[in-house]
Amino acid sequence: MTIASNDAVTVAADDTPRGASLRRYVAVKAGGALISLAMVVVLGFFAFRVLPGDPVRTMTQGRQVTPEQLEGLRRQLGLDDPLLVQFWNYLRDLATGDLGQSYVYKNSSVAELIADRLLPTLLLTGTAAAISVVLGLWLGQRTAWRRGSWFDKVHTGLALTFWSVPTFWLGLLLLLVFGGGLGWFPTTGMTTAGAGYTGVEHVLDVAHHLVLPVITMVAVVYAQYLMVMRASVLEEMHSDYLTTARAKGLRDDLVRTRHAVPNALLPTVTLIFLTVGGLVGGAVTVESVFSWPGLGYLTYQALSEPDLPLLQGTFVVFSAIVILMNFVADLVYRVLDPRLRSA
Amino acid sequence: MSPSPALRRPSTARPRLVAAALAALLVVLTALVATGVQRPARAAESDSDAVLRIAYSSTVDTFNPFVSIYLTPTGVNRFVYENLVAYGTENEATEGLAESWDTSEDALTWTFTLGDDREWSDGEPVVADDVVFTYTSIMENPETLGANHGLTTNIESVTAVDEKTVEMTLIEPQAANPGFEIPIVPAHVWEDVDDPAAFPADSEVVGSGPFVIESYDETSGTLELVANETYWRGAPEIAGVRYVKYDNVDASVQGLRSGEVDIVGGLTPAQYDTLEADGSGEIATNAGTGRRYLALAINPGATTAGGEAFGDSNPALADPDLRTAILMAVDKEELVDRILGGYGTPGETEVPASYPDFTGFAEGVEPLEFDLDGANALLDEAGYERGPDGTRLDLEGNPLELRLMGDTENADHVQLAEFVGEWLGEIGIAVTPELIGGDAVGERSIAGNYDMYFTSWSLGPDPDFQLSINTCDARPETPGGADNLSESNWCSPEFDALYAEQRTELDPEARSELVRESFSAIYEARVNYPIWYADALEAYRSDRFEGFTLQPEGSGPILGQNGYWGVYGASEVEPGSGGSGAGDGVPGWLLPVGVGAVVLVVGGVLLGRRRSAGDDRE
Amino acid sequence: MSAATWQRRRAGLRESAGEFASYRSGLVGAVLLVLVVLLALAAPPLVPRESLAVTQVTADRNEVPSLAHLLGTDSSGRDVLGMLLWGARASLLVGFAATAMSMVIGTVVGMAAGHFTGLTQGALMRVIDFFLVVPSLVLAIVLSTVLASGLWTIVIAIGVTSWASTARVVRAQTLTIESRAYIERSRALGAGDAHILGRHVLPAVMPLVLANTTLAVGAAIIAESTLAFLGLGDPTTYSWGSMLKRALDTGAATAGFWWQVLPPGIAIVLVVLCFTLVGRALESVLNPVLRSHR
Repeated sequence: MTIASNDAVTVAADDTPRGASLRRYVAVKAGGALISLAMVVVLGFFAFRVLPGDPVRTMTQGRQVTPEQLEGLRRQLGLDDPLLVQFWNYLRDLATGDLGQSYVYKNSSVAELIADRLLPTLLLTGTAAAISVVLGLWLGQRTAWRRGSWFDKVHTGLALTFWSVPTFWLGLLLLLVFGGGLGWFPTTGMTTAGAGYTGVEHVLDVAHHLVLPVITMVAVVYAQYLMVMRASVLEEMHSDYLTTARAKGLRDDLVRTRHAVPNALLPTVTLIFLTVGGLVGGAVTVESVFSWPGLGYLTYQALSEPDLPLLQGTFVVFSAIVILMNFVADLVYRVLDPRLRSA
Repeated sequence: MSPSPALRRPSTARPRLVAAALAALLVVLTALVATGVQRPARAAESDSDAVLRIAYSSTVDTFNPFVSIYLTPTGVNRFVYENLVAYGTENEATEGLAESWDTSEDALTWTFTLGDDREWSDGEPVVADDVVFTYTSIMENPETLGANHGLTTNIESVTAVDEKTVEMTLIEPQAANPGFEIPIVPAHVWEDVDDPAAFPADSEVVGSGPFVIESYDETSGTLELVANETYWRGAPEIAGVRYVKYDNVDASVQGLRSGEVDIVGGLTPAQYDTLEADGSGEIATNAGTGRRYLALAINPGATTAGGEAFGDSNPALADPDLRTAILMAVDKEELVDRILGGYGTPGETEVPASYPDFTGFAEGVEPLEFDLDGANALLDEAGYERGPDGTRLDLEGNPLELRLMGDTENADHVQLAEFVGEWLGEIGIAVTPELIGGDAVGERSIAGNYDMYFTSWSLGPDPDFQLSINTCDARPETPGGADNLSESNWCSPEFDALYAEQRTELDPEARSELVRESFSAIYEARVNYPIWYADALEAYRSDRFEGFTLQPEGSGPILGQNGYWGVYGASEVEPGSGGSGAGDGVPGWLLPVGVGAVVLVVGGVLLGRRRSAGDDRE
Repeated sequence: MSAATWQRRRAGLRESAGEFASYRSGLVGAVLLVLVVLLALAAPPLVPRESLAVTQVTADRNEVPSLAHLLGTDSSGRDVLGMLLWGARASLLVGFAATAMSMVIGTVVGMAAGHFTGLTQGALMRVIDFFLVVPSLVLAIVLSTVLASGLWTIVIAIGVTSWASTARVVRAQTLTIESRAYIERSRALGAGDAHILGRHVLPAVMPLVLANTTLAVGAAIIAESTLAFLGLGDPTTYSWGSMLKRALDTGAATAGFWWQVLPPGIAIVLVVLCFTLVGRALESVLNPVLRSHR
């Protein structure tokens, strides 16, 4: 992912025929999303089958095991079936929402494990996305309007610097300073273990745990919203109607808030949906640092085993979320863009 | 579009709205910070019924004692289910559910008498049927309930003689007590379970140990144990134990400092030193002698049980002189010093120093000493000549290039590979480090596809299993077969004879000597060279808890024992003798970093506000 | 958007003072980058590899910074500054190599998807779409788990997962260029696919690719450190990512060994920032379409 506004530009350059009906547009986009999803499903299976290592031996490493036990485990996990049979079973199960059985976690299926982790991830990425978008858009339009000022220099500089920071490193420094050092924020998880809070206390407790991971995530991603918003507002500022408006003596901030900003929002809003994928990916590192019980942390845990069905499941679900978001981005763009809408 | 006064107000209100929203956010954050500062203090007050909070990072598969194979849950189950025979604080056999046991003349029949005061946490008495149920479940269902199957392969039958007497018939005589290590479950609970293999056994568990599982939350990884009031040795002094999940040890150390957890294990030497130097008086440290060895294994050429060669090891390694020279180039003392920071003992045989009965060499064994010149001389003598670039040639004339495999996730392996690679370079052997995933290391060692690799095992008090995986029978049926249990892909009939002899030797002293001879034989084969026994580095809140019983007493670890002594012995420090200490122990270097970050952010915001205020005035 | 609009905007922007600032920061970034590259190249003579051999060092483990070791020593007693210089080589190598790979794939696939029609285009578009939507970090994790560990595995993992956005941009540019009259003319004169792509399209998309490249190097360097953090790096190579990983694994952060934790991270931030600044400036200079967005 680069910080350029390329994504927004290329959406505009999409070659969907102007005259195409909305229905056809949706059908084409939905078809594309489905094909991508199918590729994810197939890749998800075969990529993890060629992984080195015998999962059964990995699971029993350092244990007193007998060959019968190994045989039994292998049979339980369906590992003694031919690859194509395993693939067929995988497809058949997937159709019913069954993502298989984790190698490691004996009491839950992969689907259950993922379902449990979905909400924490959505909470974390959702909060981070909302704050980044608000912060990025607001700063973006301010910096564009005051281009060349100290405000602009400081904020574009700051944003680009934060954007250059490895997420895990920033998270760890924050954890050290504000978690262990100052003791202001908790160092692990989403709730205080064993506190058993309910109601408002529970919400506050979760919010308290949420602060550091969200700050980490926001710091690293808000720059892209800022830069695109800034670029869009700059573009609007040089368009005919604004020049006219200003020539008529309209006040600067009025011009900005009434005209430039609403128009500049168009490409930026589309970008928001496109970048959700990156956010979800960023969850892997942030959640691992803060032991946040989300999907990213689950991926990291599965990776360190490695728990193949679980890795496969998180990969498919992660990808499905992003594919869905991109589909939404396409629709939103179509709905918002007056040029395409009128066509 | 003309400017109208009516429009002016809403337009300027919009940035203010954003500013107001941000201000509100700031207020909320401040409130959160405030609650955060207060929380530890309040938690300390409400914890008068002291719960010991243990930070852990490893995986939990299940707490079902028939199925679980991971370290954390099997460790937890030691608290929950008493074994027939327990390991005492000196790793000796001591009373468990059985208060006494007897062996027949031929050593084939063991009779266990259960103590009258042994009760399940639900008030039911522990009876012989519980033991029979547990053992037969494992023996009859090795595939589904067989996590401990390896311990029962020599048992012919287990029967209840009367309510409190169990008789075990063995297939062959064995020195190791068959009552060790198997968690006994309450038959009156488990008999009613439809599918015992799928039973999670993680809420309101009925057990017989000092603590029982109250609840487990798989999403957050939090496990609650409560004291078992009916425990036969007497209820623990603390009210319970809580396991708190941390992914990285750095975070858990921060949690220890801020008072979120009470005890942390698995520290690195650097972390340990820092906590030891902590001047707050709230944190104490413990470096316990470990029960794990770390070794450099050399592949002498793997073979199947039928003698067929497999694997891709360098054929030159079949030469014992070459293997000896390689090991002479490994400076164990230096490695303990430089990598473990001195927190460990240089290795001898595979048995760590914490098992005095079996550790150390047999009489007459010459330990290898670090000696680069000697290694070079040995290689010169054996005919490994130096090639033009200084790398030696093997006896066929090919450059002597060896691969050194290790686990990329293990910082010790990464550092060891650097040291060993450089030393071997000095004796003319080119080393290619191959640091790969732990699973791939396991896979390749089983397939015999390695030259050298770092390996480590935790040993229980009885060495029988560790020896058994070095017998010729441990080799696979087919080349690289997954049934390869052999530790070092090595086979020696002399060793097998020693192994068989110690297995049936019932005299403890005679067996000790046989065991030492067996392990010494592995050592002298130069296939597995123990580098160190690392200490278990732990730290705990000494302002809250004290009285942890070490195993072995005086020198062992608190966590990860062969038993429950450490946590069972814990008691709460007199209330009021120490604060809960949030905000202490800030590493000095972090403050400037934090302050700098805050200044940057606040400065940026202020600058923005000033500008925007000026904007409104224009 | 009409050409007239573009021209007017361009003119307007050229006058703006902010643009010069953008170039200036780009220049600063470029100078710093050249400096870093020179230092990386000069690492072997400046800090002989032997001086970083763990069995040869005489310094203690985790020594605090001093005149002898300006940034202290690491957990094995090696000079952190020396490691940092050597780390620059690996990190930059991964950055450049992964980006080169990503750019080559992206340009070829992008041009092909723009140039060809029908089934080829459809298939290529699906592949591009697929790589655009799959979370790249997750896919990189999969790849680096599957392939044998090593520096080139990381290069491949990053390169293979990051080319799609380039392909999309290149495709859009290709479509624009091929719609121009002179391409139609040369096509009418019998020019083949290879000729049109090689002689007309490629030179026209190169500036765009170049600007993209600079931005992508930074992203690749961050990706390398993230993979290292997740345990998927190559611990036998000194890169900034593996230095950080080593420091974290040995507990340097908690122990307060800031000289092991901060320098590699700051080096990454600095270099990535420089690449970003240079990339943005290049984009403004080279690409009139995007210039208006700056």
